Amino acid sequence: MKKHHSIYIPILTLSLVAVFISCQETKVQEDDFWNESEIMAAEAPEIEIADLDFNEIPFKNLSDYGFFKGKLNKLEVAEKVLLYEPASSLFTDYAFKSRFIWMPEGASGKIIEDKEGTMSFPDQTIIIKNFYYPIDFRSPEGAKRILETRLLIKKEGVWEAYPYIWKDDQSDAEYKVVGGEKKVSWIDSQGESQVINYIIPNKNQCKNCHNVNEVMVPIGVKAKHLNHELDFGSETVNQLVKWKKEGYLSGMNHPVSHYPSMVNYNDPSNDLNLRALAYLDINCGHCHRAEGPASTSGLFLTYEEKDSLKLGINKTPVAAGFGAGSFKYDIVPGKADQSILIYRMETTQVGAAMPEIGRVTSHVEGLEIIKSWINSMEN
Amino acid sequence: MKYLIHHSLVLTAFFIVFGIWSCSTSTTEMSFDSSKLKKASQEDVEKIIESFILAKDGDVIHIPAGFYNLKTQLILDNINNVTIKGEGMEQTVLSFRELKAGGEGVKLVGNNIKIENISVEDAPGDGIKSQHCDGITFRKVNVTWTNGDKSKNGTYAIYPVQCKNVMIDECIASHSKDAGIYVGQSENIIVRNSLAFGNVAGIEIENSDNAEVYGNTARDNSGGILVFNLPGLPKSDGKGTKIYDNDVISNNHVNFATALSDEPNGNTVTMIPPGSGIVLLAAKEVEVYNNRIHKNKTVGIAIANYHITGFPMDAPNWSPFTSNIFLHNNDLKRTWRLPDLSKEFGQLISVYNAHGKGKTQDIIYDGFWDKSLSDNIETNPMNICIQEKEMEKLNFTLFDLWEGEENIKSSKDYSPFNCKTEIKTDVSAVTKL
Repeated sequence: MKKHHSIYIPILTLSLVAVFISCQETKVQEDDFWNESEIMAAEAPEIEIADLDFNEIPFKNLSDYGFFKGKLNKLEVAEKVLLYEPASSLFTDYAFKSRFIWMPEGASGKIIEDKEGTMSFPDQTIIIKNFYYPIDFRSPEGAKRILETRLLIKKEGVWEAYPYIWKDDQSDAEYKVVGGEKKVSWIDSQGESQVINYIIPNKNQCKNCHNVNEVMVPIGVKAKHLNHELDFGSETVNQLVKWKKEGYLSGMNHPVSHYPSMVNYNDPSNDLNLRALAYLDINCGHCHRAEGPASTSGLFLTYEEKDSLKLGINKTPVAAGFGAGSFKYDIVPGKADQSILIYRMETTQVGAAMPEIGRVTSHVEGLEIIKSWINSMEN
Repeated sequence: MKYLIHHSLVLTAFFIVFGIWSCSTSTTEMSFDSSKLKKASQEDVEKIIESFILAKDGDVIHIPAGFYNLKTQLILDNINNVTIKGEGMEQTVLSFRELKAGGEGVKLVGNNIKIENISVEDAPGDGIKSQHCDGITFRKVNVTWTNGDKSKNGTYAIYPVQCKNVMIDECIASHSKDAGIYVGQSENIIVRNSLAFGNVAGIEIENSDNAEVYGNTARDNSGGILVFNLPGLPKSDGKGTKIYDNDVISNNHVNFATALSDEPNGNTVTMIPPGSGIVLLAAKEVEVYNNRIHKNKTVGIAIANYHITGFPMDAPNWSPFTSNIFLHNNDLKRTWRLPDLSKEFGQLISVYNAHGKGKTQDIIYDGFWDKSLSDNIETNPMNICIQEKEMEKLNFTLFDLWEGEENIKSSKDYSPFNCKTEIKTDVSAVTKL
């Protein structure tokens, strides 16, 4: 018995210590929440984008590019860095996004006359996308936490993605290829506090979406996404017109009505069918198209798709595994609650959740649109 | 090799005693125990992730021995002539148990890619997926799930899709909720000398052309080896598969693709009755020979048409019918076990076969045919040829399901199918991989 006691005592002590340590850890985790007071805004160095040596890209820091002037975390852009916004946008865990494009002097893009209004871009085009959370969504212009800036840069005819992760003190963002995870909190538009573990994809995961026949491509910069008015501060004007005026589009010989356009799914005044297709296009259609990685499924979710089987209506899944839940068809007309599409959009289980990356929460408002759309289909 | 207990043994015994149910087994057998490996440091894990991201044509990515806990996907992005090598299945283990996002653990895209001597564990979705590859070799690769509760396991273990020239050699795939080794929408394929166990489907060739499956062991799955063609896919149909010299043994595992209480969902594999050796579904040009097909409690070889699924069959450039099949010289041995009653397809075989209720069948043909070709099946319109030794001693059933559940007919008559047919495959390009 004594022998046993002598073993038990250290074990007991150890476990007490362990309990103590684990309590400590819990506390540390609570302090782990990011706080506005951590912000140590830094002045961006004065750099001319036109002077950059593109062979040296990727630079270590976001500030090395000269996209933003003044305090970097204000995201106030340099001259010629042009704001753009797609009509409908990808859901990324309620993150806010700001998007910009820059092209070298004298170079411009062209609209290819296909049904999406795909664009060709000159070498050295840079597309900039910032991901951030306002501390309080009810005042989105107030203090914010920037998490990522993703760059798409075209060099020698090839697009490449460069992810930058913002430091917690918001002084700069650093090039990091392996991705990461950050706890993020905000007050939502209803005044409720929200917390998630925001996942930053690794560099090669960019290609999960930015992929046409295994070639890296931009997604949002197509005529169909840009063919609508945007408030540029100085003026509110159709983006295609603005791009033309700024020299970013050439050979645009027709009025904007000639080019394809997509609706904003958030605008309830638009037709439900178009809102649903717009939602599916921007959230799923980059993969779920004949040229995309999800072509394996035969499920094609683009704004232009007309074939009901390809849109998933009464279509059995292929490699869905447990993503199919207990359901037989991607879309059962009139029955959103029996449709695999809804199940996979709603679940957050890794391996079943769609899209496969970029989402750890459910998009309640988006789901409502797709559910209404399916429920409105005749059975 | 350490074998864990078949954890439904007690249940199985219960069913035997009461004799009221057919007995599906379940296994969580492990090829080895990866928890004893040295855990790689965070730095080492990041080094591996970077080596995939920064890979250049011609690279050899060497992954030293150890247990790597990955929270992000490993993706090889359209790079050519790359070899990924571990130090052995039991030495280098990539675990995706804590993967935060992504459909698969490892994704390989590019031409002439090799992955060898490595294990992948516990990916939430698929284990290793390769897509749009011309020349992809999996050699001595083990992909598995270590969950005791198999309902948490992922979909496919080894998953080449939309590839050309696929070699899967000396691999092990176990415990996947769908197919262990799944080759989809591909062409020129060899699956050889590999082991698939504890999966719902052991080895599956789907919508693919020109495949040879030989020298493998498919055991303790729900279904051993499957050749399927599904509708509505970019590669709309597939043809030309030889299945030979395989051991297809005791594929009596419970079908855990859906919860036991659930009906099958839209994934065809959820309909596979436990106890299926080889299943051909809407398959074209398949030769099955010299296999040892033993102790599969429901059926040794099933020849089925897509009609049996009850799913819509309207798809372009695709036929729901199975045609041009040659089964010969297989060693078929039945089991004393009762055939499956958990799936409709199993109930059909158990109850309505031509040899008596509860009799395991060696070969069944569901009896659908293209009526535009002939008005009766005696003319063998789909060219189904069967030349097994001592055919008269085998349990063969030809069903007639045209009139639905109300009037299921069956016959022992194999005479319409006593023919030969030549199936052509050529995988010489793949043997060089």
